Amino acid sequence: MKLSTFTKVMATTALVAMTATATLAADIAVIGGSNDDAFWNKIKKGLDDATPAVVANGGSVNYLRLVNYDNFAPDVVQLIRTAISMEVDGLVIPDWVPEAEDPAIKEAIAAGITVILMNAGGADKARELGAINYVGNEEYPAGVAGGEYFASHGQKNVLCVNTLPGATNTEARCKGVSDAITAAGGKSTQLPLPTTSFGDATAVAEAIKAEILKDETIDGVITISAGDADSAAIGIEQSGRAAAISLASFDMNEAGLARIKAGTQTFSIDQQPYLQGYLSVSILASAIDFGTSLPTFPILTGPGIVDASNIDATLAGVEKGAR
Amino acid sequence: MTSNSSIGGLLRRPEAGAFLGLVAVLIFFAIFGGVTFLKPAGMSSWLNVAANLGVIAIPVGLLMIAGELDISVGAMVPLGAMTVAVVSGHFGLSIWLGVALTLSFGVIVGLINGYMVIRTAVPSLIVTLGSLFAVQGIVLGLTVLITKSTSVALATEGPAKAIFGDFVLGGQLQAMVIWWLIVTAFYIFFVHFSRFGNWIFAMGGDKVSARNAGIPTERLTITLFVLSSTSAAFVGMCQAILYNSAQVAGGQSFIFNAIISVVVGGVLLTGGFGSVVGIFFGTITFAIVNQGIYYTDFDRNWSSLIIGVLLLLAVLMNNTFRKMALSYSSKKKGAKT
Repeated sequence: MKLSTFTKVMATTALVAMTATATLAADIAVIGGSNDDAFWNKIKKGLDDATPAVVANGGSVNYLRLVNYDNFAPDVVQLIRTAISMEVDGLVIPDWVPEAEDPAIKEAIAAGITVILMNAGGADKARELGAINYVGNEEYPAGVAGGEYFASHGQKNVLCVNTLPGATNTEARCKGVSDAITAAGGKSTQLPLPTTSFGDATAVAEAIKAEILKDETIDGVITISAGDADSAAIGIEQSGRAAAISLASFDMNEAGLARIKAGTQTFSIDQQPYLQGYLSVSILASAIDFGTSLPTFPILTGPGIVDASNIDATLAGVEKGAR
Repeated sequence: MTSNSSIGGLLRRPEAGAFLGLVAVLIFFAIFGGVTFLKPAGMSSWLNVAANLGVIAIPVGLLMIAGELDISVGAMVPLGAMTVAVVSGHFGLSIWLGVALTLSFGVIVGLINGYMVIRTAVPSLIVTLGSLFAVQGIVLGLTVLITKSTSVALATEGPAKAIFGDFVLGGQLQAMVIWWLIVTAFYIFFVHFSRFGNWIFAMGGDKVSARNAGIPTERLTITLFVLSSTSAAFVGMCQAILYNSAQVAGGQSFIFNAIISVVVGGVLLTGGFGSVVGIFFGTITFAIVNQGIYYTDFDRNWSSLIIGVLLLLAVLMNNTFRKMALSYSSKKKGAKT
């Protein structure tokens, strides 16, 4: 074969290969929180685990992270513009600050980028903007799942301890618990703690103890954060009714997982950030590469219930940085 | 002091108004809270809260008597909790090392606060506002850097658990209650039966005159700041040991709650007037008001309103009695009252 022919063949092959890559394989940009944010490291573990499949089909995954949260909204918008200028095929973006981000997200979609909302934004926002889906958590269904768990395990009167009364997400959590238990024939009251108790573990523990002593029909306690469950555990123990009361928490921490393992806490409700990273990248790549579409909309990664039945696997996940 | 035996003399003492405020809220909740409120479990409910707050409120109150303020205690509580949790929980080192480091950090921040206040002449509210945020930032930054989390678990066993973070005396009262009584006794001696006490009151009255009179105002200021920040770190540490866990956030409520307790206890915001026993009563009053709600049938959404109104009433009562006490003169022959 002549050298010139060889060159032509190689060049054509390379051109075909390049064209193929550009048209078929998904180059995906993921925008997310900083490296020292523990929550976002779990999301990153998910997208890292999804990356090999994307690469195997000739695509790529690029994690554009915020270095810090000092200049939040402008930095996020800048990252979206960076993704547009990289001419990516797909973009995974949390819609934290809709006012600032929405115009940039619309620009990305107008530029032909397939967008999926992840972690923040919600289903309605995804529909409004034209994103193909929302992958993340919603607070009210998380509360409902907690309430249903209580109801199916025989609890009839659950106290929802809210150390941040008035905040939209904590109110939605307690309302979900209440609605689900009420539907099952039980009841749930919210205990809104005054700001003078916030951050004082003893004040929270003693308030819970007092409520339990006062209303002897209370057989379940759920806290809006993992830290409050540490206080609740002591409050319940001090009430002398630990055997009759089932403790649960939204979110989870190390001490809470240890209690579930030891049997002094019944369950925790997790929004499973690992799945947010893993699913958003997989679904987006598959949609771009193979034209798949999911009828499920939104895709909720939570609530995931951690209880005695899956505590060992959860602890193994904690070891690997996925939980 | 000679008229202490008479009722008028007792009422004239700074803690008299605070004591009456305490009795008033106790009666209020005994009526609306029912029997449970006065049972051991109910009493421990506010005594435990009072103990944790009281250990911090007394040194904060002494600073206020001396004309200073320390709001960095709000950051020292999570600092204390996180230090012992990271050292003894995350790294699994000896609990005693965790305790020693926690208290050392308390001393260091106190020294910095104290030196800044006497060297820069910036009001201590501003200095400790700075250290409040700075320490919060350090706690969050270092905790996340070291543990990749904002919540650290701590399992303590043996004597350290019993001394710092367990339930004693029938299993209802926190070990902190014992610490609270011990430090209160110590402060009563320190303030009311030693010359340091007079120095503190003199400083709060007029700092320049106090220094001219030969009182080591700078050393005393630093000592008081070290006491308040170390006490706050100590409380945070004990809470972490008791609750087997430490969170980066939290503790800020101690700032306001301590100041409220001190004022309800009869200390003048302007300094120069107050007593340790008064602060002690003020702390119990605050704790009863804060926790008593849970024993009543009031809708919990009104908690903050009830707390606010009751505390205001307690202070008003206190002020009225202080005025009556200060204008009181013992009965003389021929006098009408």
